[in-house]
Amino acid sequence: MIWQTLVEAAGNLLAAWQRSLLALIGIVVGAGAVIAMLHAGTMARQETIRQFRQMGTDTLILRADSPQGLGNFRLGDIESTPAAVPTVSEIAPFMIGGGPVSHEGQNRNAGFIGATGSFADVARLPIAQGRFLSPHDRFELHAVLGSEIAEQLSTPFAPIRVGSQIRVSRYIFTVIGVIEPVMMNPMLPMDVNGTLFFSLSNARRVMAAPQLAMAVARLRGDADPEIATQQLQQHLGPGLRDSTLNVLSARQLIAGMNSQVRLVALLLGAVGSIALVLGGVGVMNIMLMSVTERRREIGIRLAIGARRRDVRRLFLSEALILSLLGAALGVALGYAGGVGFAWMSGWPVHFSPLAAPLGAGVSLAVGVFFGFYPAVMAARLDPIEALRSE
Amino acid sequence: MLELRSITRRFRIGPTERTVLHGIDLDLAAGELVSLMGGSGSGKTTFMNIVGLLDRPSSGSYRIRGENVLAAEADAQSLMRNKMIGFVFQQFFLMPRLNAWRNVALPLMYRGTPEGEARRRAEAMLERVGLGQHLTHMPNMLSGGQKQRVAIARALVGEPAIVLADEPTGALDPLVSREIMGLFEEMNRELGVLVLIITHDPGVAARCRRRLMLTQGHLADQSLVAA
Repeated sequence: MIWQTLVEAAGNLLAAWQRSLLALIGIVVGAGAVIAMLHAGTMARQETIRQFRQMGTDTLILRADSPQGLGNFRLGDIESTPAAVPTVSEIAPFMIGGGPVSHEGQNRNAGFIGATGSFADVARLPIAQGRFLSPHDRFELHAVLGSEIAEQLSTPFAPIRVGSQIRVSRYIFTVIGVIEPVMMNPMLPMDVNGTLFFSLSNARRVMAAPQLAMAVARLRGDADPEIATQQLQQHLGPGLRDSTLNVLSARQLIAGMNSQVRLVALLLGAVGSIALVLGGVGVMNIMLMSVTERRREIGIRLAIGARRRDVRRLFLSEALILSLLGAALGVALGYAGGVGFAWMSGWPVHFSPLAAPLGAGVSLAVGVFFGFYPAVMAARLDPIEALRSE
Repeated sequence: MLELRSITRRFRIGPTERTVLHGIDLDLAAGELVSLMGGSGSGKTTFMNIVGLLDRPSSGSYRIRGENVLAAEADAQSLMRNKMIGFVFQQFFLMPRLNAWRNVALPLMYRGTPEGEARRRAEAMLERVGLGQHLTHMPNMLSGGQKQRVAIARALVGEPAIVLADEPTGALDPLVSREIMGLFEEMNRELGVLVLIITHDPGVAARCRRRLMLTQGHLADQSLVAA
């Protein structure tokens, strides 16, 4: 009987296939959106984790803020930090700015970072060519380039390499190193690939507002960033005068980004849920139409001896088959959406294991929920009225 | 077989109440072939709905095979219709998306008969009504007369106490009408099933041994007069 009911229900849906297809769209889109959203969320999370694995979760970024904007660290305080603060193993102060750079007629805008020789180690920057800055470069007009800006300044006849001369403001700098392409680091205020590195004294020459407002530090072992922050405040705070010290740890940033990803995922989920509800309303609409159109058939079934629950089961089966089909297509669409998202973002494909069962389950539930009312309505029809209708 | 006692049916339309059937008494025995005639508004349809357990009388009693059939709830009444009554309609009313044998098997399926047995009985019944060659045809591939044969097979397959036929020849041409009437007579004779045919056609009524007439909600047995 159940088999025959399912066969009949499938036949009824096929007979009105255009309408069934329309009813499906909502469910398919809804389930697809929910599943794609879960995949995108998983990929974003994986990507964040990967970024931090490269940068290291033991990194701290220090920034001096004054009421006027950026503040100034005392270089001596920074340099004495590893000795004075037991939880910090290394620290590298830096100042940030930017401006035009030219080489062989190529003009570009680049970010500037004025740093000491330890910056590359503390920020884990791999050198592709030449070397990074050293204490001996303090007053020499030497520059180290990020991979992207190096490429942009190159011409076919004069690629940027160690020894190339580039012009920054009124100065001609000699390139002493190029950094390997690195992933965008969420901790640093600028993208390393598009940045020129100078010594601090040179940075003061070419930057409009040179302020030693930032430093990157590494925790010793698995020291607690909270404790390190307190100790840094004690050590650096007095030298800052009216400025305040802000310390950002990688772990804080991860937590922040995770909550952002969650928010985006939630938003997508809301959109998917709305689509699913609309899909459910679509199913209900189709089923109600079907019930109205098939009143006489229902009447005949009741006359022949169908019980109310037999009629209900027939229409519920139709809703169930519709939502099963919708869920299946929605899962396919969701996975395609996930792959599309990975392709667009350039991130590796990563699927959420929960997505398929969750998306399919929810769309099934929606279909059956919205199919229930029409089915009950069909089962409640008065056989005499139903038989008389056209 | 069927025993109706002082069946009255009143309808309330707004503030007024209209009595459609006035205390009808009727006994029908197994193996009878009965016709019911009556003009429009005579209460024919209401009477048939009550006999067919689709409607309940306002008062009176109704027994089939000795069982009080008015006491049952809606679902139980469905089951009684399934077991005791076979319907044949003027417009055939076959399920358009089920083939011939599945249409015939439908009452058995609702009864819970296993599909294999239901199919066997449905096919045997289709053979009996002369459609052995059309077991898997869809309704839209059958002629009017063939559809009505399928409908008759469907009405008979559950071995009901009574087959209720509402204008069974109303949509058929005279030649096919005679064939269908012949089939009713044959089934009535061979299976001994009680057949009640509601009709406008005096020719159809004339072929029934017992003829009933409804006028303004009163039932008269004309066969006694004619005999």
